[in-house]
Amino acid sequence: MDAASRPAVVIDNGTGYTKMGFAGNVEPCFIIPTVVAVNESFLNQSRSFNKANWLSQYSAGVMADLDFFIGDDALSRSRSSSTYNLSYPIRQGQVDNWDTMERFWQQCIFNYLRCDPEDHYFLLTESPLTAPESREYTGEIMFETFNVPGLYIAVQPVLALAAGYSTSKCEMTGVVVDVGDGATHVVPVAEGYVIGSSIKSIPISGKDVTQFVQQLMKERGENVPPEDSFEVARKVKEMYGYTCSDIVKEYNKYDKEPSKYIKQWSGIKPKTGAPYKCDIGYERFLGPEIFFNPEIYSSDFTIPLPAVIDKCIQSSPIDTRRALYKNIVLSGGSTMLKDFHRRLHRDLKKIVDARIVASDARHGGELKSKPIEVNVVSHPIQRFAVWFGGSILASTPEFYGVFSLYIIFN
Amino acid sequence: MCVCFSDFSSERSVDVDCHSVEFDDVRYHIQFSQKSPQVMMLSLSLPIPPPEAAFINGLPLGAVDAIKIAYGELVQIRDPPKDGYNLTIKLNLAKLPRDEEQKQAILVKIASVREVVLGAPLRIVLKHLALRSVAPNVDQVIALVHRPKESIFLIPQAEKVTAVFPMRFKDSIDIVLATSFLKEFMEARRAAQLSNAPLCTWSPNVPQDLRGVSAEAVAANAGFVTFVIYPRHVDGSKLDRTTWSLLTFHAYVSYHVKCSEGFMHTRMRRRVESLIQALDSAKQEMEKSNKLVQGNSFKRLNLKDHRR
Repeated sequence: MDAASRPAVVIDNGTGYTKMGFAGNVEPCFIIPTVVAVNESFLNQSRSFNKANWLSQYSAGVMADLDFFIGDDALSRSRSSSTYNLSYPIRQGQVDNWDTMERFWQQCIFNYLRCDPEDHYFLLTESPLTAPESREYTGEIMFETFNVPGLYIAVQPVLALAAGYSTSKCEMTGVVVDVGDGATHVVPVAEGYVIGSSIKSIPISGKDVTQFVQQLMKERGENVPPEDSFEVARKVKEMYGYTCSDIVKEYNKYDKEPSKYIKQWSGIKPKTGAPYKCDIGYERFLGPEIFFNPEIYSSDFTIPLPAVIDKCIQSSPIDTRRALYKNIVLSGGSTMLKDFHRRLHRDLKKIVDARIVASDARHGGELKSKPIEVNVVSHPIQRFAVWFGGSILASTPEFYGVFSLYIIFN
Repeated sequence: MCVCFSDFSSERSVDVDCHSVEFDDVRYHIQFSQKSPQVMMLSLSLPIPPPEAAFINGLPLGAVDAIKIAYGELVQIRDPPKDGYNLTIKLNLAKLPRDEEQKQAILVKIASVREVVLGAPLRIVLKHLALRSVAPNVDQVIALVHRPKESIFLIPQAEKVTAVFPMRFKDSIDIVLATSFLKEFMEARRAAQLSNAPLCTWSPNVPQDLRGVSAEAVAANAGFVTFVIYPRHVDGSKLDRTTWSLLTFHAYVSYHVKCSEGFMHTRMRRRVESLIQALDSAKQEMEKSNKLVQGNSFKRLNLKDHRR
């Protein structure tokens, strides 16, 4: 019985959340925050190799190599005791801390999926901007620590496109707008290949939306304990955030009928245990607005997302452009904001139509250009579209032919 | 698995068709149809048994009875099982207890179905031990499926049961780590606060008790671990815990081996970093002294300058 007869393990490590499960399933088994809580107190001393240190560890009943938690456990641990430090192994889509990343994988495999890594092929994902060194390092850990029989590292946007593959058509050309927690990329893909030179990334991502919401709430003087405010802002964003069509109209709506739009948030202060309440107002729509009007959030970057997408397509090879406009695929948790795709479609259509009108005018009405079809594809599995794509890809029988094996790797 | 089940037991209006695999090559297939939301089908595939521990009708000895005892009327066994699986059971979710705590307990029990099925022969032996007797008509050495084509051995006696685990690992580093882990494990047993734990020994050679067993079945590359279980270890509620711990022992060792491997890598990385730091600081001093001797005549390029 070889590993190819078992379903492959698909793990999509995102900056914010990690999605993991077995190939062939529709949903990942677990979606957990990508975070590790480590107890550093023993780790730092141990370099001196002194005997007393080992003894003190031993008598305290602490096993330094086991003293860490991941995911939601890590968050609750760090809140309740001060011996644990939170470490986020992935920053802006790139692995930042290999120590904690290795531990994170270890827990994912053994404690969450509860499988033996020697029995399964693995499919991992990486962002299109990952350096080859980082890929090599991932391979090293996977093969040498976990002894996986085979490994495939797929590019996230290609998987996001593949997620739409089975449902209706075999379309492997399109623009993937991947708005994750830590990074936002606009990646054009033609026939399954990433057009590397046209990748655009913008410094605004899900985390910035959270920070902006947090800032707005702080400025209004809402009664939120400071140590909890980031988490509250994140939940507010996820539960109440939406994209509006016009800010001015939206402000008017709120002012006319505050009771209808302003929501209440109630929580418990983590330190004292006292309950508190606060209002959620304009930040519901202002948070997501930073993608469309970045100037309200930062003065360094002021190009709206639709304009970036347009620029990305315009810089792609001319024969792919129509197909790219036709298939704009959203992926990543932050595109789950309500009406995000509608707003994106409208703004993008505006830019495209304006260009056509201008070019028609330039030709003096002699030539009429064919209108360009703009389509923003949105589906309910957007949050883990990359994972789902990986699950589909890894469940096809041909796929086992492309896994890189240890011998080749070495 | 547990999370999985509590998820499914809540109201859902979609068809669920989910495959899952656990360590030791135990596979699950969960089906849940919209048409009959109160019925869940769970198929289970077990590791391939080695010749010395053959299955009866695709299941270990006493498994059917064990399922009936564990789940009662909640569960119906489908005969024959789904193609490619050893067992298919039909769960009637309408019969779950109303009480939230009891419900959770039974869901955990369902999630640990592998223990009920694979551990059935072990449970019989341990139950007899609790009564200080030997089960009638069993062999002197019982082989129990543990991992694909691997088994553990039980030697039942009236006052004790000896369980022998031949430990096998594929990777050479794993073998070394596991061996030293098991030696430490044996040492740790000697600590005063563990004096009530089962006796545990590790030896690189085949223990005396297994002389009659075929050489292939006892070929191990990380030695043999022997546990001696006394009646006090299987008293009442302790029986469940003992069964579970014995059945998942291999997974436990491999989990720890990987953990310490990760930890060692962390320390190795730190060491390399500190060595590089030491090298860097030495280099700068050398550069300074060069400058003193030769003045500003040339600038030594280092790696960073190249990148610029």
